Amino acid sequence: MWQVIKDIFSFRDYHRFERIGLLIFIVIILIFPLIVEQAYSRIVMIKFLLFALFGIGWNLIGGYGGQVDLGQAKNVGFGAYATALMMVWWNTPFWITVPIGMIIAAFESFGVAYPMFRLKGHYFAIATLCVALVWKELFIFWDWTGGARGVEIPVKATADFVHMQFPSNIYYHYFVFFLFITQLLFMNWFRKSKLGYQLQAVRDNEEAAASLGINVTWTKVKTYTITGGLGGVGGSFLAVYYLYIDPDLVMPLDLSILIAMTVLVGGAGSMWGPIIGAAILIPLDMYLGAWLALIGGRYGIDFMVYSLIIMIIAAREPKGIWGIIERVKGRG
Amino acid sequence: MLLEVKNLVKEFGGVVANADISFNLSEGEMVGLIGPNGAGKTTLFNCIAGYYKPTSGKVLFNGKEITGWPAHQTARAGIGRTFQIMKVTAGMTVLENVMVGAFCRADDRHLAKVEAAAILGFMGLDSLKTYHLNELPVASQKKVGLAMALATQPELLMLDEVASGLNPKETEEMVDLLKKIHRKKKITLFLIEHVMEVVMPISQRVIVLDGGEKIAEGLPKDIVKNERVIRAYLGDKYAKGI
Amino acid sequence: MGLIFAFISLGLALIFGVMNIVNFAHGEFMMIGMYVALLISTYLPLDPLFSLPFAALVGFFLGIVSYRFLVQYILRGPMVAQLFGTFGLMLFLRYLFMLIFGPDVRSIKKGILVGKTLSLGWITLDVSKVVSAGLCLLLFAFVYWMINRTKLGRALKATSIDAEAARYMGIDTEKMNALAWGVGGATVGIAGGLLAHFYYITPTVGMLFILIAFAIVALGGFGSILGTFIAGLIIGLIQVIGGHYLSELKFTFVYIAYFLAVVLRPRGFFGW
Repeated sequence: MWQVIKDIFSFRDYHRFERIGLLIFIVIILIFPLIVEQAYSRIVMIKFLLFALFGIGWNLIGGYGGQVDLGQAKNVGFGAYATALMMVWWNTPFWITVPIGMIIAAFESFGVAYPMFRLKGHYFAIATLCVALVWKELFIFWDWTGGARGVEIPVKATADFVHMQFPSNIYYHYFVFFLFITQLLFMNWFRKSKLGYQLQAVRDNEEAAASLGINVTWTKVKTYTITGGLGGVGGSFLAVYYLYIDPDLVMPLDLSILIAMTVLVGGAGSMWGPIIGAAILIPLDMYLGAWLALIGGRYGIDFMVYSLIIMIIAAREPKGIWGIIERVKGRG
Repeated sequence: MLLEVKNLVKEFGGVVANADISFNLSEGEMVGLIGPNGAGKTTLFNCIAGYYKPTSGKVLFNGKEITGWPAHQTARAGIGRTFQIMKVTAGMTVLENVMVGAFCRADDRHLAKVEAAAILGFMGLDSLKTYHLNELPVASQKKVGLAMALATQPELLMLDEVASGLNPKETEEMVDLLKKIHRKKKITLFLIEHVMEVVMPISQRVIVLDGGEKIAEGLPKDIVKNERVIRAYLGDKYAKGI
Repeated sequence: MGLIFAFISLGLALIFGVMNIVNFAHGEFMMIGMYVALLISTYLPLDPLFSLPFAALVGFFLGIVSYRFLVQYILRGPMVAQLFGTFGLMLFLRYLFMLIFGPDVRSIKKGILVGKTLSLGWITLDVSKVVSAGLCLLLFAFVYWMINRTKLGRALKATSIDAEAARYMGIDTEKMNALAWGVGGATVGIAGGLLAHFYYITPTVGMLFILIAFAIVALGGFGSILGTFIAGLIIGLIQVIGGHYLSELKFTFVYIAYFLAVVLRPRGFFGW
């Protein structure tokens, strides 16, 4: 038991500079809302933390597992809808909706996992795409989930910790940061667990992994299920942050792609990849994109820049930006 | 009887890769599997270990039928194997890779670590613990692959051309290592080999395949004089000369 | 419609067959083809039908450039890199065009084939669709002939079966790869030009079609021309029939069909 706690919190097997970096990062995030008062910057920071959160969950199957999943948005959607619907129907406290959302997402992931993992590589990626799209279309089609109109959560007047609704973004900042840290610590435990090792062995060489007694498919299924659950958490947050959700907001294809790309650019398979990736994309999108749209009504340059980065990274350093950092470190 | 292979047949489309192969392996033996390229040796390995499903025939391990069992199941049952060509990636360190093998028998990370370190020590690979596989020379990579398989505590270890790509000195080291494994760990060895310097001194018995069929089985010194074997390797001209 | 889908997928199948890489940007190539048709018909006194050769050329050019500057490099990396490399290309092209043309929807207003219908008994057919379908059929046959009967085509096929062996036989595999991309780009460029006659044109149109293309190629088998053809027809049928009953979900049926197809038959019905 004590061992598990140690595993969760111990980052000792990382280089000193990584640990210091993490510490500095945490400190900056913690004091951020207190020193920065612009509303827009706070929003950007929240979005950054949210995408880092999404990224960590995705990194499990996409990074450590080496299976590119392009349908994570469905899990986000499950979490979001679970939270939103339960609040609207039964006024359920937030923290009860979260595990329920996670269970639903995990359950669905488990269900589709077995057939999908018969496929490898590109085929698998496309299958995940299809599944997510089917779900999105279904959610639009169904009336009981609000269809295309979406679900609106009644606004509370004052800070409400039961339903996690707050008047000021400061609360949301710490809220999403808390979720982010929780998943980060989970990842820290996971990568040292037996499943973590087996998963990486599968990623590196499936045949060899099988020869060591690892049931390759089952390992992938387990991981994919967990990733599903983790995605749901971010979705639940979205629901109470925006107080309005609809299928195009919480489960569009673009979101799945964005989550995957963010981690891939930052460095899939490493702990810091999701953070780095989000740190590049979100400010790029929110600042550059917004500024450009403002001055010329020209959309999309930010994405062009981002996709250029993606292509360059794909061609030069498939391990993402973190891979580049490691390479440089190795030489220095 | 540790391993019994009865009338194993493996077909791919129209090609018969293994035709009616039968043999037994007893506990504690060291047996070599030789034959010209394309004779079906690796296919046989794959059928036993579970990478292919035999078209017909039976495989029994410790008396239990394991025909068609998938690879991870045969590994857990006690059949370890190494691969001729290891796909090398820079993902995990040597120690971590061997730990994965150890996780086959242990659930706890620290136990796995201890076990892995012990195996690496046994094989003299301590100094390589923190390296990544792609940083190592071929001979070391092969030894690591061997260590990984050993970590699963197999009763039967099947080695696919473990000596390929090694220079004479490395080959000698490998032979010593294999003998040590056989002696100290009491593991039955079954080797596919082309390098005769490895097969002959190690094997107590040799099985010969050619064109998918078993054409000979016996002591090394008898096999080298067997006309069919010579014909398989060198063609009719040389066989007649004996 | 099925024929057109099949044609779009043809390019994809070719690229995949030759190099085992999936081109996510395929849809974007098509989109560009559409814009070529639009531009030419708007700014030049030419009928959109005549823009087809231009679309083909642009597509061809795009394909080769993509290969030379991007794909060539990402092939050396792990599969993950290949995937997101072409993904990046897809996003890049999409947003580039969004930048240049804006996200509004356009359509071609006049031309020989635009907007006319044909009545055959109780069915009313859109002329442009019929002609497009016919053209696709012809071009399909042409590509099939080219691959199987000409020397160049067979070199291409050889490369797709075993690149190394092909190299030993003196085939310049790099050129073959580039060619595959070029032809793939050209075919889908033409498809785009044709589609522009009756479908709306916007930078995001690529996404929809590429999913359909993937479904078709998966169903028919990556690399098999005949398979792509038949699968295209099947998918087109599914879309029409499904659309008849539940029109909002008509593409959903396609996705489900894809899913079932790959799950039940990971290699497609005719592929290797």
